[in-house]
Amino acid sequence: MRKLRILFIKELRSLFFSKTALLFLTILSFLTGYSFYSAVALYSNASVSAVGNPLYAAGFEPVSGLFVPLFGGLFILFSLFLPFVVIPLIISEKEQNTLTLLLQIPFSVAEILLAKVAAALLFLLSSFLMIVPATLIWWFYGGHIPFGELALLHTGYFLYGFFVVSVSLFSASLFKNSATASLLAIFLITSSWVIDFGKDMNISPLLLTLSEWTTTRMLHLFEIGIFSFPALFYFTGLSLLFLLLTRSFFAFKIESRRMISLWFQLVIVFAATLLMDKSVDVTESHKHSFPSHITAALQKLPPVEVNVYLRRTDSRFKDYEVTVLNRVRLVKNNVTVTMMSGAALDEKYGLFVYKTAGKEVETYSNSEEEIFPLLFGLTGISLDSEKEEKPFPGYPLVVDKSKLSVISVVYYLLIPLLFFAIFIIRRIHTKRRLSL
Amino acid sequence: MKMILLSSVGFYIGERVIVEKKAIQQGGFSNSNDKVKRMLTLSHITKRYQNTVVLNDISFDIPKGAVAGIIGPNGAGKSTILKIITGFEQSDSGDVIFEEKKLSLLDEKVALFSYMPEHLELYPDEYVADMIAFMQNATQYRDDALIEALGLNTVMSKRIRQLSKGYRQRLKLFFALSNRKEIVVLDEPFDGFDPIQLENILALIRKENANGRSFILSIHQLSDAEKICDYYILLNEGRLVAQGTIEVLQKKFGRKDGSLEQLFMAALR
Repeated sequence: MRKLRILFIKELRSLFFSKTALLFLTILSFLTGYSFYSAVALYSNASVSAVGNPLYAAGFEPVSGLFVPLFGGLFILFSLFLPFVVIPLIISEKEQNTLTLLLQIPFSVAEILLAKVAAALLFLLSSFLMIVPATLIWWFYGGHIPFGELALLHTGYFLYGFFVVSVSLFSASLFKNSATASLLAIFLITSSWVIDFGKDMNISPLLLTLSEWTTTRMLHLFEIGIFSFPALFYFTGLSLLFLLLTRSFFAFKIESRRMISLWFQLVIVFAATLLMDKSVDVTESHKHSFPSHITAALQKLPPVEVNVYLRRTDSRFKDYEVTVLNRVRLVKNNVTVTMMSGAALDEKYGLFVYKTAGKEVETYSNSEEEIFPLLFGLTGISLDSEKEEKPFPGYPLVVDKSKLSVISVVYYLLIPLLFFAIFIIRRIHTKRRLSL
Repeated sequence: MKMILLSSVGFYIGERVIVEKKAIQQGGFSNSNDKVKRMLTLSHITKRYQNTVVLNDISFDIPKGAVAGIIGPNGAGKSTILKIITGFEQSDSGDVIFEEKKLSLLDEKVALFSYMPEHLELYPDEYVADMIAFMQNATQYRDDALIEALGLNTVMSKRIRQLSKGYRQRLKLFFALSNRKEIVVLDEPFDGFDPIQLENILALIRKENANGRSFILSIHQLSDAEKICDYYILLNEGRLVAQGTIEVLQKKFGRKDGSLEQLFMAALR
């Protein structure tokens, strides 16, 4: 533990006080400031007509309207810039041949790697400090802060960052120069974007299937306020797999039998956890949940099979997926959906066929108001009386334009100056310390 | 009491080394009745990089307490053999044996050898003082006398990239010597030293050797090798040309009082 701490401090020093890190954090400050400024301006403009109008106001949630755009800066930085900060942790050891030195101290390969991962994760965590001033400014404006959803958003982005760190370290373990390693890392990280694009363009059914498992899709669950166990295990499992691969390619010795066993165990755990289909609606508005009497009735419902005679790209199916299917799946995990194809698809286009308890019912409707009475009627489940539930009030906020300059001052001036000052003070302090 | 014990151990190590040195000078283990204990044996080592044979069935022994020089022109395979000895490269065939025990894992070799490769950039952005402190904290061993002997106390506040080649070599030597391993393996350790610096470094190696540590050095300057080594492994184009003390080599090539250079040229013919 003592040795690991010494190594960890060395890694932290070389990571945090590097010019790359300084540049990364400064760019992050500019990007976050820009995202925040734009988001506040838009939110404020849109809120003008919602203030005093409860029906319209209910649509104003700070998470989707403000914090998700704010995290956009982090997303770009993590995806495209973080690899350039993390990759040198391994490549520099290779270029300078210092791995031979560390191994002889002796540190084990696992210790060396662990210290690097821990330092990279701490750096990753420090990026989130950039969100703190924005949250405080929002609070200062009088904005509502949804702590639960904000915590979920942080969790999702941290998991995404962990994935980026592990992919970057893996790429660095394969090559001896930063440029090649960075290219591979960015390709692996952005391949999700390519798949998502392919899905939207309806290029191939394979891309459609793959798009269910992209990092962007998993991250999106955290953005919309769903705490999904499969998404949690997806990110941690994928990151650990890449770290194990890094361990295999990183240094001189590969204990193949032990590595294969570890690999095997991890793949099994990864696969098993992905099957654990449990998600929770964390939003304050409960927008992914049905009223409690409907939820209770859905839980009583036996397994349901749905045959959909629509193409996936059809807007009716997309609406159905968002407003009905995803919400039902938060309550029930025994709903099977089959997308019909061939001649039957054209013949019955637009139809939904529900099968449950040995009976079936058909409808062309994709709305919950039509579907649930049909389903409950089919199985004879009666709805409990509707409870009075407090409606979500919404949090529109009009910010005085003159106050927006606070954001520019903080993110474009104060934070970059602070980083620069820390960098200079550290250099002066080191010079003094060493000249004593 | 502790002091008496320590000085007794020091005396014992010193005396043992002197006995071994004498035995090495008398010819080492050139016959079956070894006068010197074999420390390290390389047996039928072969290494290929793609289709090029870099080391071709090389076998030799290094006696305990020796300062062994691996000598040869560029491309002879000196660095590769050091990497194989220390575990940072795997041979395609053959064994590395330390006192009858076959070494195969990197961990076993790392515990035994202190190895400084020729191309080691250290951490250019770090300060010398910080790197020395890092090494001392990690190994929990502090030897201020070694820092002074290497003259590193005068460059503590410099970044490593600001150091001259000679000082970078000294820092590498510091790392090699400060982890207290039994055998120190140095790849081209004398590059970048002026004659005065070289004498200081040679004196330091002699002192460490007298204290019981064995050295394996890869050297391409024969004049440097002659100043410090008491045992030679001569390589050329990946093959072993000869091995032994200077006396053994002189006898083998029939050149009484021949210099190492003359013997090496004779071996190549």
